[in-house]
Amino acid sequence: MTRGHIDRENPDRLYTITGGRSRADADVFDLVTLVVAECDPSPGMQSEHVGILRFCRSARAVVEIAAHLRLPISVTRILLCDLLDAGRIVVRQPARSAPRRSAVELPYAHPELLREVLVGLRRL
Amino acid sequence: MPRVLEPARGRADTFPAGTSTPAGTSTRRQPVLGANRTVLLSALLVVAVAALCAVATAPSSARVSVGVAVLVGLAAAAVIVVLAIRQADGTARLVERLAALDALTERRAAGLAQLADDTLPKIVAQLRDGVSAEEAMAGGPPPADPAEQRILRTLAEEVGRGERMRAAAMAACANAAGRVQALATSMLADLRDMEDRHSEEVLGDLLRLDHSVSQAGRLADSIAVLTGARSGRRWTKPIVMESILRGALGRISAYQRVRLHSTSTAAVAGYAAEGVMHALAELMDNATSFSPPSEEVHVYVEEVQAGLVVTVEDGGLVMGPAALRRAERAVSAEALDLTTLSGTRLGLAVVGVLARKYGLTVSFRPSSRGGTGVIVIIPRQLITQPRPDGAPLPGAHVTAAPGVPAGGRGGRQAVAERPGEPAPAAPPSRDAAHPAGTPEPLPKRGRGETLAGAARAAALATSPGGPPAGQDGRPAAPAVSPGERFGAFQQSRARARSGETGPTGSAGQQPAGDTDAAGAADAINATDSREAAP
Repeated sequence: MTRGHIDRENPDRLYTITGGRSRADADVFDLVTLVVAECDPSPGMQSEHVGILRFCRSARAVVEIAAHLRLPISVTRILLCDLLDAGRIVVRQPARSAPRRSAVELPYAHPELLREVLVGLRRL
Repeated sequence: MPRVLEPARGRADTFPAGTSTPAGTSTRRQPVLGANRTVLLSALLVVAVAALCAVATAPSSARVSVGVAVLVGLAAAAVIVVLAIRQADGTARLVERLAALDALTERRAAGLAQLADDTLPKIVAQLRDGVSAEEAMAGGPPPADPAEQRILRTLAEEVGRGERMRAAAMAACANAAGRVQALATSMLADLRDMEDRHSEEVLGDLLRLDHSVSQAGRLADSIAVLTGARSGRRWTKPIVMESILRGALGRISAYQRVRLHSTSTAAVAGYAAEGVMHALAELMDNATSFSPPSEEVHVYVEEVQAGLVVTVEDGGLVMGPAALRRAERAVSAEALDLTTLSGTRLGLAVVGVLARKYGLTVSFRPSSRGGTGVIVIIPRQLITQPRPDGAPLPGAHVTAAPGVPAGGRGGRQAVAERPGEPAPAAPPSRDAAHPAGTPEPLPKRGRGETLAGAARAAALATSPGGPPAGQDGRPAAPAVSPGERFGAFQQSRARARSGETGPTGSAGQQPAGDTDAAGAADAINATDSREAAP
């Protein structure tokens, strides 16, 4: 482990952030589930919740939130579940009609589009 | 009788001079003995003359027998006189020896007294300071008596050896603790890395390991603190209070029973953060271990003039007067006495050392919950605002509007209900983060966020309709952001679907317009409190 990594750390351990949970109660959140804040943060809230609420003023995917908070996806899911239970966020499944199986059905994930993206990436 | 008086006189004469010898006392006593002898001899002479006279005056018939009787009597008298004189001589010698012994005893007593009251304490003090036995012995005048010298040498060597052993044991402990600390730190970093990499299946196990390693690290920290070594980690940046509390929480076993109530955005200076965290961890550990497993431990933070006050309250046992005294003494200004350590209860001793090191004030009182409350005051010198250019703290944008009760999470409302809580003194840098004329609903720039990023966020929040943030007196309505619109859409869709109640509360069910109003009200509230705070 590099010294820099240690220095960048915070004293919070993940289990104190989740209150000891390692698994979300509900299986609502996918990597690409979109989350929108319903209200502004209130004082005394856990800072991660505050961060989520502020970050999700516009719709954000779970994976984005996790990256923003620098937390593992599973921990982010637990935090999001808390907020969902408190009614502070709403959730939109990007592919509710065919969950998880075919991302291809998403309008922005059309094969043609993907191919173009691939071509574009190769050109870089 | 001279035997009774003589020693007293001898003591009075010889002791202050300190140079008198047995010969001196004998010459002084000689005339007395001589007088005795003269008296006895002259008495014998008188008796002899009288007897001769008696013999001479006796009739001639009886002269022979009288002469024999007188001779016998004289011989007996002479023998008695000689015996008496020898007896007197022996007694005189005994008296002399006694006096000499008395003087010797006096000198020895004086020497011993000096040894006990003066020499030994000095030497022991020197030895405690780490001076070697030889040096300490050479430092002062050696005692005259060879036996005393031997006693002193033996004692000095023993104490010196004990002192060396103590120092070596402490150094070994400190060294071992330091290694365990380093191991724990690197293990924690590794674990954190793994927690990022591995999926949910492994996460639970990793978190358990993480918790165990954190506790082991605290134990090593405790030993390091007690042995006088430096405490575990140095944080290179100020640590916000929430992280301090959670860092402390993560190091105790029953962390799930502790409830944190903090709206403070203050941070503890990096160099003291570890110590404060460790002290709080020990206090929280005490609170959880001395209260029944069904009871929760509550931790409150409030900002006062003197600094930050952290209160740890449990619902367990009330400390008895003796326990309270012990606890107060452990955390008082007295230096740590290792002999007061009991093998199993290190916590308060550790807190005491840390409190002395960082100027924390720790006091105890009965808790309103029925148990014990511990109040820790973190002095103002240790409180800072985190550097804006520090590593971004996720979601450190806490809006510390003290008057607004926390909605939704019941446990956290207690913060606002506490009586007598002054409005947290708004730190100057927070005002600096919001330039004048921008009464925004919420602080836009959190710690670790650049102003540009904040401006972008603000623009994002207000662009679809409202005037740009910073130009308007009224707070820009955040609810018109695309996210909010989507939220409203989602709600209406949810409502349309057969009135399914779901987990979303009443706030979530409001139409978009109501949400706007609520947001604006919140914003006004927040603005008011912010104005009231400084």
